[in-house]
Amino acid sequence: MSDNEQRLRRTMMFVPGNNPAMLKDAGIYGADSVMFDLEDAVSLAEKDSARNLVYQALKTVDYGNTELVVRINGLDTEFYKDDVYAMVKAGIDVIRLPKTETADMIHELEAVVVEAEKKFGREVGSTNLMAAIESAKGVLNANEIAGASDRMIGIALSAEDYTTDMKTHRYPDGRELDFARNMILHAARANDIAAFDTVFTNMNDTEGFMRETEYIHQLGYDGKSLVNPRQIPMVNQVYAPTKKEIENARGVIHAIEEAKIKGSGVISMNGQMVDRPVVLRAQRVMNLAKASNLVDEEGNYIEE
Amino acid sequence: MEIKHTAIAGTLESSDIQIMLSQGTNGIEINLESDVIKQFGDQIKQVITDVIKDYGIDNAKVKAVDKGALDCVIKARTITAVQRSIDATEPNWEVL
Amino acid sequence: MNDIVELNLSDPIIFKQWQEFLISLNINDFSANEVDKIDQTIGIFEGERLVATGSIAGNILKYIAVCNKGRESGTYFNTIISDLTMRLAQQNIFHLFVFTKPEYVESFKHVGFQAIAVSKQGAILESGDYLIQDYLNSIVKFSDNQSIAGIVMNANPFTLGHRYLIETAAKENDQVYVFVVNTDASLFSTSERTQLIEAGTADLDNVTVVNGSDYMVSFATFPAYFIKSQAEIVTYQTTLDALIFKNWIAKTLHIQTRYLGSEPHSETTNIYNQVLKDVLEPEVKVKIVDRKKVDQQIISARDVRENIRDNHLEKLSQLVPQSTINFISSNLSNLQQRIQKGMNIDGN
Repeated sequence: MSDNEQRLRRTMMFVPGNNPAMLKDAGIYGADSVMFDLEDAVSLAEKDSARNLVYQALKTVDYGNTELVVRINGLDTEFYKDDVYAMVKAGIDVIRLPKTETADMIHELEAVVVEAEKKFGREVGSTNLMAAIESAKGVLNANEIAGASDRMIGIALSAEDYTTDMKTHRYPDGRELDFARNMILHAARANDIAAFDTVFTNMNDTEGFMRETEYIHQLGYDGKSLVNPRQIPMVNQVYAPTKKEIENARGVIHAIEEAKIKGSGVISMNGQMVDRPVVLRAQRVMNLAKASNLVDEEGNYIEE
Repeated sequence: MEIKHTAIAGTLESSDIQIMLSQGTNGIEINLESDVIKQFGDQIKQVITDVIKDYGIDNAKVKAVDKGALDCVIKARTITAVQRSIDATEPNWEVL
Repeated sequence: MNDIVELNLSDPIIFKQWQEFLISLNINDFSANEVDKIDQTIGIFEGERLVATGSIAGNILKYIAVCNKGRESGTYFNTIISDLTMRLAQQNIFHLFVFTKPEYVESFKHVGFQAIAVSKQGAILESGDYLIQDYLNSIVKFSDNQSIAGIVMNANPFTLGHRYLIETAAKENDQVYVFVVNTDASLFSTSERTQLIEAGTADLDNVTVVNGSDYMVSFATFPAYFIKSQAEIVTYQTTLDALIFKNWIAKTLHIQTRYLGSEPHSETTNIYNQVLKDVLEPEVKVKIVDRKKVDQQIISARDVRENIRDNHLEKLSQLVPQSTINFISSNLSNLQQRIQKGMNIDGN
């Protein structure tokens, strides 16, 4: 999916599914993706209520271009099938499966999604999927999970359950997550989908949040899951390209256009051939620059 | 369709509405508490009534405490209250 | 968003924190008869600090307290009430009561409660699927050009004294409502007491026996945890009880006179009777009828209960009508068992 490759996924903001005030405002903070939560944020007695509420919000609230994700309840719950049906009917962009451990779980989910798409007249294949990895088994199977379906757009680490499964807990330096972070990132890259890092819940530790975000940016993650809209500009700041990166990317884009005009199959810059990874990175930098309001639609600098 | 027992849905938090639905004998009677009852009272009652009628329920007592809910929230909470009051085991895809 | 947590008050550390928070908001009564009835307590914390709490006791919300410092007023209050309502709904309890200080009446009205009685000291509010209007709708009504009397009684069990009071009212009025106190803390259950009153007045055509429902209960059960002085409690409780009778029961059913039996021995009942006079009159007349005596002794239901305990059934014929004797004889072992199991028979 070309749109998929282009799409920025720096920030995925979690919104509790049973909270009307937060559902209503979820679109206004500029998150790249919003994830409505029907799972952990909703008590057992309110599962039905949250599902109905998210459904109605999806049908009526204008969330603009934000990518809309819903975290459904797990495959082993009584809520899961109704969750999938309702969200497919509402036209959700992405269904996120919690506690994913095997590719088969994605296949099982996909079968229900197909049923729902047919039942409610949605184009079969129009609902994307993503997996949250929350256990050692899930981490070790990350590659097959990431490649389990053409619908997969991303894979995310969920550290709370994962650290429990690993008989540890979260530490400020995050070293307990090193292996999982790298496995998930590799699984994502090998299968050409996005990698999302876990949430950082201590809202008072801004420094810790920035340190973690810079770290996962350095690793190569597409973005981070967030619990509070105040974290969005901080992530975007980390992901904003430097002036030098933008200069360089503009050069590459210019070279592509030159080659087009000349009708040349080879793109060259400063006498060197520009290959595909360089082109892709340049496009990505320009996308980030636009999203960060550093350049306008044409790629020109916006003066401060 | 008949209401089997009283049921409640929604909260008293800002932007929400709490709907209590119980058996009635005299059509759909709505008792609404809202800060914006003058401006939006009729509209809120209409949304609630429409949902209840969609379920084919003719008699119901409704007690609604509105805290500034959007129509979609009113609709969602009413659907949940109805589903609970008729002991529905799965969502009604026609009404949703 | 701050999460709601359940507070386990049997944990002394949590209890202390809860208590200190309430004391800081001027709630000082933590006596056993208030606290022991609590089924569930919830709280909201900001960091380590408790900032809001509320409890459930049966269908009553109590110990509601919210610190709004630095917050939009009402946010935590609504969250607490909302959460308690949901918890009760899950137990299929939808009809809720609140007893609170008069200054909080507006806050509760804002979340859908209606005030059914407000005095200087306290207020009762209710909310739910069955309100006092529904209760009154369910009672048979008589036209207001008749003289109509009302009596509220526990009748634990029904004695010749009760019979005398009802008979007196029935002679002096066209219609008499007898409301049975709906509190199951007596030797005879509410339905047994109702049955005995009905049997003992079956020959009186103008007497209607009605269950007091949630609106005529033993006033001693009204929570009073927010009342400052012990001495004020009975006045607070009886005033609310009297206000409900006057503004709802008497008004809707056109009751012009409330009949009471005199109570030479009970200080509490004397206060109650005085408060009833103060509150009900002049709209509703209060008529205190001297208690019926046998051999210079006032007939008392307590004596009947003691005779049951002591197996002196031969003494009952002087105290209760035949219908009550019949019931006691055929349920004697059951009643005696209840006493043995610790049912208190000393009350009124």
